Amino acid sequence: MKPRALLLLAVAMIGALVVGLQSGATWLAPREVLEGLTDPRAPGAAIVRGLRLPRVLLAFLVGGSLAVTGAALQALVRNPLADPYLLGISGGAGLGAVVAMALGLGGIFGVPLAAFAGALAAVALVYRLSAVGGRPLDTNVLLLAGVVIGAFTGAVMSGILAVSDASQLRSAVNWLLGGFGTAGWATVGAFAAYAALPLALLWSAGRSLDLLTLGDEPALHLGADVERTKRLAYFCASLLTAASVAACGIVGFVGLVVPHAVRRIATPLHRALLPMAFLAGGSFLVLADAVARTVVRPIELPVGVVTALVGVPVFAVLLRKTLR
Amino acid sequence: MILQATGVVVRYPGATDDALAGVSLALGAGEIVSVVGPNGGGKSTLLRALLGAQPLGAGRVRLLGRDIADWSRAEVAQQVGVVVQQEGPAPGLRVADAVLFGRYARLSPLASPSATDHAAVERALARADVAHLRDRFVAQLSGGEWQRVRLARALAQEPRALVLDEPTSALDVRHEMELFELVAALRGEGLGCLVITHRLNLAARYADRLMLLHRGRVVAEGAPAEVLVRERLSEVFEWPVAVTTWCDGSPQVVPLRPGEDQQPSAGPRPQEPE
Amino acid sequence: MGGFITGTFRHLRPVVTVLLAACAAPQGSGPIVLAGDAGDTVRLAAPAARVASLQPTTTELLFAVGAGAHVVGRTTWCDAPAAALEVPSLGDGLNPNLEAIVAARPDLVLLYPSALNAAAAARLGELGIAALRLRTDRLADVPRLARLLGRATGRESAGDSVAARFERDLAEATTRSPEGPAVFILAWDQPLTTIGAGSFLSEVVERAGGRNVFAELASSAAPVSLEAVTARDPALVLVPSAEVRDTTIRPEWNVVRAFRERRIIYLTGSEYLRPTPRAPDAVRALAARLVPTQ
Repeated sequence: MKPRALLLLAVAMIGALVVGLQSGATWLAPREVLEGLTDPRAPGAAIVRGLRLPRVLLAFLVGGSLAVTGAALQALVRNPLADPYLLGISGGAGLGAVVAMALGLGGIFGVPLAAFAGALAAVALVYRLSAVGGRPLDTNVLLLAGVVIGAFTGAVMSGILAVSDASQLRSAVNWLLGGFGTAGWATVGAFAAYAALPLALLWSAGRSLDLLTLGDEPALHLGADVERTKRLAYFCASLLTAASVAACGIVGFVGLVVPHAVRRIATPLHRALLPMAFLAGGSFLVLADAVARTVVRPIELPVGVVTALVGVPVFAVLLRKTLR
Repeated sequence: MILQATGVVVRYPGATDDALAGVSLALGAGEIVSVVGPNGGGKSTLLRALLGAQPLGAGRVRLLGRDIADWSRAEVAQQVGVVVQQEGPAPGLRVADAVLFGRYARLSPLASPSATDHAAVERALARADVAHLRDRFVAQLSGGEWQRVRLARALAQEPRALVLDEPTSALDVRHEMELFELVAALRGEGLGCLVITHRLNLAARYADRLMLLHRGRVVAEGAPAEVLVRERLSEVFEWPVAVTTWCDGSPQVVPLRPGEDQQPSAGPRPQEPE
Repeated sequence: MGGFITGTFRHLRPVVTVLLAACAAPQGSGPIVLAGDAGDTVRLAAPAARVASLQPTTTELLFAVGAGAHVVGRTTWCDAPAAALEVPSLGDGLNPNLEAIVAARPDLVLLYPSALNAAAAARLGELGIAALRLRTDRLADVPRLARLLGRATGRESAGDSVAARFERDLAEATTRSPEGPAVFILAWDQPLTTIGAGSFLSEVVERAGGRNVFAELASSAAPVSLEAVTARDPALVLVPSAEVRDTTIRPEWNVVRAFRERRIIYLTGSEYLRPTPRAPDAVRALAARLVPTQ
């Protein structure tokens, strides 16, 4: 693990968190942020502690989880273009959310839980479909099944949206494009408690993921339990992505671009790559969210728009450097 | 005896014939055994079966006396180093890290590589003569260099046995000879080496024992001169050949062109006319 | 995590205070209880003095009941009455900017009951701010909310009179006619979308003496096929949206007689886009334009 890269990431993380807490409807100076955090009666306290802090923390956790998931999936399918939404997850989650909105399922957790359930249903369907083709977790079949399920859920979702009224349509679009607008402490706590285990499991499988990138046969001969590693990566990735989508909708590019950036700057070895990707992805999403809620305030842009706008040029630069 | 296969039968689901129909093979320390034969004869299947990567229809495979099914993948990797036929180099990976992968089988999930591991990597790099490439990206290596790096990785596992599947398929004469010389040297150090190859003539010169595999059956087994017999080879490879003898006593196979002399000659033809 | 716990206590504290006050106070000066349209209830200890109104209809109603000075925030879509434009915009009503809302220090927030606003309302509740979700889809919502908002801002009599005047004006303006012209309401051009019985606009058309050819549709808006429109052969086309204009009429729509003969009425004004206190005027104006074609 290159110490310089790690230091850079730690600094980036702290910087991102500070900027995140400073940003919002009004720009706070670092001193005011500190006061707001430590003194409950400070003028900015309600905003900093009640609104910005949970939001920034959730963005960090989700961004980190998406980056780790992207890295693991890129190893699993041996394709640098893999991202967390590859396996039909975004389609299932979107459909679950749209159905919940159409049925008027209310409550704070109505839509997120429906999205989560939809995501897991899609994962189960994809797994079932690809198991029909013989050995489960043949990655090519998995990818195809993911495309098929994604297309199906997308079509149903479009059908529902086509007959929805304007406000339902706006709500659905806003949710689908991703946002942390209503992030609260309950969500932060639930996500942190839930994501800890899959993240830890993925990290512990880091060396097996290294071997997996060589191919099934070489990995097997170097001592990897290939089927077990694939299953572990697949299910941890699915769980993390489902939770991320439930927490904040579909936020693209974090899972795709951040692992590549970290691989280039630091290392492709997963035991170091995964923690560094977590820090980088979390910082990136915190900054993207800060931009999303300040650039056209008081309107909040969906955070998925910002990640794409930033992610695409970064990806293009990385692509050119890799092809050099 | 390191690896021992007895009466191994493998049939792929939906196939009409057995891929392997009762094959027995033994590999001991300090010897080179070479498996040869036409395409589709079962050589790669045999490799997978020997390493416990292929479910058996019948028969048994033993590693160091214990049934291979009782070994975990990591345990097998500590005893046997394998270089598969085709492996594309992973992007962004450096040679030193790639060779370190050979040590992974000995590391518990939470431990980090120790000084012992790094020393083993250095030794392996030196042995395979790729130490000067340690900081290069594997994607930038030539075919021969990548082959030797994979061999170094197998050596880093500190195995008792090496299994090489077509190790010289993409190599030129020089690299081919260098690789076989290296394998011969490793044999001298006590490694058991199983080499699957198309190169009948190189196998004849380097191997202690040959096994001719055809349609899943062992057609012949033993010293090269016993196995590489004209009639048998012509029949198995479905092409007329002649067999001459090199000065070290090893048989050398010469495939014949249509209309060429069918009678075997005793020695190499002289270059200049008398 | 600590913020969550203190947030919960902060949420409980006003409720406890209000309940205690309710027990202690004499009849008639108790807290104001407001029932929202999503099963939510809000208790205000005193009439709301700072209201963040996150939908255009409630903004307009607040001004109508004379509580305009108490509106501390609106959405970018709230453009009526003119005085509302002076109120700072807090962003979007369907994707509310919580921070902007909190910064305005309201004691009551009015939201549209969309699925995502449920979470927003809950968050505001956690932060100790009363949030109420109110439906503003039908004409009947206007007098109902006028009364509710009158109570909320301590202007009960003003609210009641606005509601009564609305109901009276609406009844007077209504000229339902069984032989009224068949009307096709063109809500959007891509895809061809019409308004169904679920929308207040359909009711406006019916009260103005027209007959919505798609009145059997229960939803507020639905895409329809050109064939269905042709089969119903409307006498007139009504276009409530400013974005659809003569230039967007597609050539293939000319199979419908009303398009071919250019019997199109373009409506301008926000009173055709959402239920407002000006709806009776809208009905009257529309009735006048429908008459010559009968």
